[in-house]
Amino acid sequence: MSDTDSQTLTPALIYRDPKAAMAFLERAFGFETVMVIEDPDGGPSFHGEMRLGGSSLRIGAEWSAGHASPLSLNGKNTQTLAIQVETDVDAHCAQARAAGADVFAEPETQFYGDRTYRCRDPEGHIWVVAQTVEVVTREQAEAASGLMITGWS
Amino acid sequence: MEHLRPSVMVGICYRDPRAALAWLEAAFGFETCLVIEGPDGGIAHSEMKVGDGLIMVGHEWDEHHRSPAALGGVNTQSAHVNLDEDIDAHFARARAAGAKIFREPEDQFYGERLYGAYDLEGHQWTFSRLIKALSLEEMSAAGGVLARDHL
Repeated sequence: MSDTDSQTLTPALIYRDPKAAMAFLERAFGFETVMVIEDPDGGPSFHGEMRLGGSSLRIGAEWSAGHASPLSLNGKNTQTLAIQVETDVDAHCAQARAAGADVFAEPETQFYGDRTYRCRDPEGHIWVVAQTVEVVTREQAEAASGLMITGWS
Repeated sequence: MEHLRPSVMVGICYRDPRAALAWLEAAFGFETCLVIEGPDGGIAHSEMKVGDGLIMVGHEWDEHHRSPAALGGVNTQSAHVNLDEDIDAHFARARAAGAKIFREPEDQFYGERLYGAYDLEGHQWTFSRLIKALSLEEMSAAGGVLARDHL
């Protein structure tokens, strides 16, 4: 399956309207569409693959009772997405908002050294976008947060 | 923090993240690499390595974050793991650790051998290994589908 599967972990998101979702993800976050598989008879099965940097994403429809968009669950998410960007998270946020993302936490620098914002896409999937703006040691992060940290490297 | 982070990561909601960390390690072979605990001893944030990928094992920290265990088993997002190891051995280990299997290992038309399992709280995982790389044309012919590289 070419190099789209070269990465170990690929999240798969469920949407009521997967094609509209893919168009949004292209505009808002800069994902690139690499594959679309549809049922030639117009059936409900759909498989989309998108890529950002070296990472892949799969997009599917509500194809069984066990698969639902947050839109069908009052906005609840069982898993969420995190994107790590290398430059200007504030500009990233502006682009996402212009594309129709619901930004519910504006860009803010966190105690662990990342500047992050949070938003919902048009069907309610929650995304957090982060840019590392400061290198913070474990001791500094513990002192700033009052939390106990194991495995900080 | 100077973690080398992939550009896309996954946050997974569990009722009991501490139990999830242990279970995911035993059943799927994931490796805990970060645990952040609050003064009450609860897990505030934790991360596991899945090959070159990273998952964040979290809890139901607001009304929008729910484990499938709280939603009758429904998933809004799932995770696919591409392995370069014996899929049948991975499957056997997961089943022995209590994973509920929804797809037995089988070769797929798109050139992968794949199995599917629910974890301890009902998150859906698929694990596959590439057997044969196919072009979109070959895939379309093998599966009776229309595969293309654009919307």
